[in-house]
Amino acid sequence: MTPLLAQAGLTQGVTVALVLSAALFTIGLIGFLVRRNMILMFLCTELMLQAASIAFIAFGRMREDTGGQTFVIFILTVAAAEAALALGLVVLLYRRRETLSAEAWQELHE
Amino acid sequence: MSAAVTVAERIGSLVPEMIVFGGSVVVSVTGLSPKRSVRAATPFLSVLTLIAALVALTKGWGGSTTAGLLLPGVGPFARGLILLMGVGGAALAAGLVDRRYEEAVARGVAPFDPIRVVRGEFFAFMLLSICGALLIPGSPDLIWLFLALELTSLPTYIMVAMSRGTRRAQEAAVKYFFLGALSTAILVYGFALIYGSTGSLQLTEIRAALAQQSAMGGIDAVGTIGLLLVAIALCFKLAAAPMHFYAPDVYEGAAAPVTGFLSFLPKMAGFSALLLVVDAAGWGGMSNAGNGLPPALQATLWMVTVLTMTLGNVGALLQRSAKRMLAYSSIAHSGYMLMAIVAGPELGLPALLLYLLAYGVNNNAIFGALSGIERNGQEVEKVEDLAGLARRHPGAATWLAVGSASLMGMPPFLGFWAKLVLFIAVVKSGHTPLVVIAAVNSVVSVLYYLRLAGVPILAPSGAAAEGVVKTPSAGPRLAAVVFGVGVLVLPLFMNRLVSQIEKAAGVPQKMGAAAQPDALQAASR
Amino acid sequence: MTFAASMLAHSLTLAPGGGGDAAHASLADAPIVAATADPSLAWMGWVLALPAISAVLCALCAAFRVKNKLPAICTVLALGSAFALVLKLYLARGPGAAPVTVHLWDWMNFGWGGGPWKSFQADVSLYIDSLTLLWMLFVTGLGTLIALYASEYMEAERGPGYARFFFGVSVFLLAMSALVMADNLVLLYFGWEGVGLASYLLIGFYYRKPSAVAAAKKAFIMNRVGDLGLAVGIWLIWVNYGTVEFGALFQAFDDAARGVGGWDRSLIPFCLMLGAFGKSAQLPLFTWLPDAMEGPTPVSALIHAATMVTAGVYLIARMQPLFSLHPDAMATVGWIGALTALLAATIGMAQYDIKRVFAYSTISQLGYMFMGLGVGTAFGAAYHVFTHAFFKALLFLTAGAVMHGFAGQLDLRHLSGLRRVPGFRIVSWTMLIGCLWLSAFPYSAGFFSKDLILVQAMSSPRFQMLGWIGLGTAALTAYYTFRVWFRVCAGPVAYAPGDEDHGHDDPAHDAHGHAAHGDDAHGHDDHGGAFHPHAPRLAINSVLLLICAGAILAGVPGIQALRGEQNWVQEMVSNSSAVRAAGVDHVTEPVAFGMDPHKLVTVFGTGACLGGIAIALWIHLLDRRMADRLRTALLSNGLTRWLPTSMENKWYVDELYHALFRLPAWVTSHLLHFFDRHFIDGLLVNGLGRVPVAMGRLFQPLYNGALQGYAGTMAGGLVLVLAWVAWKWLGATGGAA
Repeated sequence: MTPLLAQAGLTQGVTVALVLSAALFTIGLIGFLVRRNMILMFLCTELMLQAASIAFIAFGRMREDTGGQTFVIFILTVAAAEAALALGLVVLLYRRRETLSAEAWQELHE
Repeated sequence: MSAAVTVAERIGSLVPEMIVFGGSVVVSVTGLSPKRSVRAATPFLSVLTLIAALVALTKGWGGSTTAGLLLPGVGPFARGLILLMGVGGAALAAGLVDRRYEEAVARGVAPFDPIRVVRGEFFAFMLLSICGALLIPGSPDLIWLFLALELTSLPTYIMVAMSRGTRRAQEAAVKYFFLGALSTAILVYGFALIYGSTGSLQLTEIRAALAQQSAMGGIDAVGTIGLLLVAIALCFKLAAAPMHFYAPDVYEGAAAPVTGFLSFLPKMAGFSALLLVVDAAGWGGMSNAGNGLPPALQATLWMVTVLTMTLGNVGALLQRSAKRMLAYSSIAHSGYMLMAIVAGPELGLPALLLYLLAYGVNNNAIFGALSGIERNGQEVEKVEDLAGLARRHPGAATWLAVGSASLMGMPPFLGFWAKLVLFIAVVKSGHTPLVVIAAVNSVVSVLYYLRLAGVPILAPSGAAAEGVVKTPSAGPRLAAVVFGVGVLVLPLFMNRLVSQIEKAAGVPQKMGAAAQPDALQAASR
Repeated sequence: MTFAASMLAHSLTLAPGGGGDAAHASLADAPIVAATADPSLAWMGWVLALPAISAVLCALCAAFRVKNKLPAICTVLALGSAFALVLKLYLARGPGAAPVTVHLWDWMNFGWGGGPWKSFQADVSLYIDSLTLLWMLFVTGLGTLIALYASEYMEAERGPGYARFFFGVSVFLLAMSALVMADNLVLLYFGWEGVGLASYLLIGFYYRKPSAVAAAKKAFIMNRVGDLGLAVGIWLIWVNYGTVEFGALFQAFDDAARGVGGWDRSLIPFCLMLGAFGKSAQLPLFTWLPDAMEGPTPVSALIHAATMVTAGVYLIARMQPLFSLHPDAMATVGWIGALTALLAATIGMAQYDIKRVFAYSTISQLGYMFMGLGVGTAFGAAYHVFTHAFFKALLFLTAGAVMHGFAGQLDLRHLSGLRRVPGFRIVSWTMLIGCLWLSAFPYSAGFFSKDLILVQAMSSPRFQMLGWIGLGTAALTAYYTFRVWFRVCAGPVAYAPGDEDHGHDDPAHDAHGHAAHGDDAHGHDDHGGAFHPHAPRLAINSVLLLICAGAILAGVPGIQALRGEQNWVQEMVSNSSAVRAAGVDHVTEPVAFGMDPHKLVTVFGTGACLGGIAIALWIHLLDRRMADRLRTALLSNGLTRWLPTSMENKWYVDELYHALFRLPAWVTSHLLHFFDRHFIDGLLVNGLGRVPVAMGRLFQPLYNGALQGYAGTMAGGLVLVLAWVAWKWLGATGGAA
């Protein structure tokens, strides 16, 4: 990983932040795949979004550009909107099935 | 921000979007009105809003500034197409939500309760989604692109859940939402890496930076992975492999009008965004048979194209549900259209835009026919249940047959011409193996399209097919007729259409190059 | 231009001894005047647009269940306006103007690489020369009149069926106009398919009647065979000449280097011929036309007598520059035409259904037209098309009036003395005119046009045999034509009603229809009580008189020619692509019996006509039992029994086709089935064909409905792509090298 990043012109400090961000993204992805609770699954996607935020801030700092931080503000906004939607949906689904497990919803398949 | 374009100019270019947005506010209010006639007018208001936006666009209020934009010519065409198909989508959904409740209110069984009606919200969300899609082609930077993509997709999740009160619709919504959230996360991470590689959020600056990197020996690893992540995340919107798995379930679970909406609008949005991304990645450069994409992205797109059309077509062969079959067909068509991206801008861009137009028109005709009939208040799901439809509802059977024949690419329907132009473009760009694969796929697709076209006309009507009646709302049938006639009539204007699209795409006139009759006539005069 | 005009001026004579040889010599290599683009004629697009608009309006009427005559009004107005436009163009241009093309809009234009054969262009453009105008004049004119007639004839169907009928008529006129005015073969082909579709829809109009459905299917399938030939022909033309536009094609045919040579070029006229024979019901493909009489009678008159069936003649006349390069193809056309004329006439002699007699006479007369094309007088063929359109439409419309009035009765054994039945006077006398014209009575239009074809045949030693066949057929024609008239219109008054097979569109219609009948005293009172024929009213009678006048006036060019003046039709043909077959090439020295061809044909033709009429007069009016006695006598004699039975059974052509095609088809299909089960199914379908399905099954478990399963596959796909890219492009080269 490190030679790849160094070759892209990255400094040591940024590299650390990027490794953190990649780790967070991976954790979020794996969490999404292994957890069955829909609220936890949603939080995992939030984790992935925040991983992207960290990458943006790190890159913005490296480039000395405010664009990365600007993007993060919009990511937070969208994440909030998604959270509202997710909660509404989860409540609706819970009323129907009385469970939060994603496995309860497998009626549509081949 | 690009110095050449002021904020006022940028806002001034958004008149159609503002009209649609305003319309969404208005319909969300009229949907709650205690007066039945006002509530019933909601779909009409939506259609009127979209038509007003279309008029504004044709009047040139969609902005003439092209500075700081990639592929500026695509914008007006894509926005016009989105609005036109949006009109069809709104007409399809005219009698969809709140039908039982409104009937109960009309009979006096239930009192009117504004909490229980969702029609206003439904159409408001539809208009918001269209508004988001309209914003995509003119995105100057990644933030704008990201927000527009989210504005396109978030409302559709709710529309799926609202479309029918059934468990299946809710299941469709939950799958669509969670997988959509996953793809959004991947998209944003890809954006972050592109930003890291190029140091800018402006698409034009990104293009310049990536071109510089290419000239220096290749785009760096961060940029390459970022581009790949974005492209693959956008495959979710296109319903292309490997992100297509949600499509059959979601299309089957949602009500037919919403399925019709979902199979065009997100695809259109996805292609608009993908065009911007590949253009930023050097699509227009001429290093690789008319296509300057970095080889990794080019190879990935090639694989995605082949996988998408193959998985779509072989999947559709096994289906009994008409909507599920159309979901796989929608996947397959995404595969065909992705070929145009591989083919490069000069040839591929006009072919892609024509194919999107043809696909949208076909799609609205077929879903209009499917949404216009029901049995016992339920949608007719299985293809077998359509048997003998021609005897009872010749109109629906005709448009179903016309739409299917066109989707399979049978001459002289619209789909054939779109496919012909696309295949010629891909062959000319030197990707003959792709066309061979696509042709084999088209042959395979005949098997299931013929079933969809033939069963309603040829099969004797069985017990299951009895009791198919028209839905009370005329909207879907009207859409089926209008777009079905489009399928039949547009081929008559093929050459004009192609040269208009080539002009919009800003490429030299290739297909219509043999002779420009206007010029010929002028010369002969 | 001036050269061509002056050249034509001294070649335009029909009468004997009028310098025909010189005319022939100069016409044989006359250049085809190149068409010029004329955008100012764009209003001719309305000729296509008007029937299209009317079709849309009729479809709307059907959708909104309009019960009045609105569809008929729309159609008549639209077609009438189209006719007015054609007439306006004709009057503005006159018969001798040079051809023009009118570009309406771009349609297809594909290029792959530069140069010829690397692009394909076909636009929606019109090619208007005088041949086009000649056809358009009678197509739109008769179309208008017949739509007017149908407005009364079809009134029992008022409601969706009525609108459906006029929708079909409008679509037909749209397609026919596109066929005739097309400036390229692809647009012509679309028109060709369009008229076939309209014909199919209208033959099957009474779709509750199994025989009508079967007839529609038969027509459709037989026409597909012909259309396949046409399609292959067009494809070969494009392959060989690199264009499908008439103007460029005519130049290419003239180009000695590109005109002929090669088996595939020689095949082209035969392919086109197959299409023409299918559409115009000639010998291998004629049996669909008599069955097509199951359609409503106005349709029989318009589509299956006057206009659509002449599309084959039009095609060959339009492609005359190509056909004239292939003498064998021309001879084939001539022989097929002559044999069809003879065969159809013998069948027509033994039919009892009036419409079927007229149907066989149509086939027979179309045979004359093809004979004319084959022996090299497109002028004679076009003139015969023109006169025939009038008198045959007239005959069908009178038959329709009889059918309308006598509750569907068409059997000539159950109708007699109509001329004395109140209200049928106009029908009887116009039918007499039609019969005289059909039997080529001297100085009728039919006489002049048939004369031209036969003279041309007699003049050439190669084709003299065809001339004699034509003369013999003329006698048969006169006999069977007057057999109908003497049986139906002359003699004592006697009739029996038919079984009222107007057909009904939907069950709801019955109640409505009969209520309406009660109102306007228009009932078919065959449900008990005495039968009263109901006489045709204003629309039918006026149309009969108008078309009758047209038929009489159609003889004017013939009389002009006799008087040594310019012949209008010949002038029209000479200014088209068929210019080289516009002359009358007759020799002046005696060819047989010491007479020159013209005299020969006049004398023998008159004799054949009068003889046929006389025999019909004798055995069908003066001594009606004579015909039956004759038939019995022939049947009782073992040696001659075959004659009436085979004629009544249409020479067993249908049965022959059954044996020739259906039986081997049945055997082959069983063989194929065997092959299919053991080879195709066993090897290909279960092997190759199953591959996509098996692939589908292979991937099916992935779509298991589990949200996380989908997410896992998506993520897996993403990781695979990234790993592949990293290994292939990033890792292997040590990053971006």
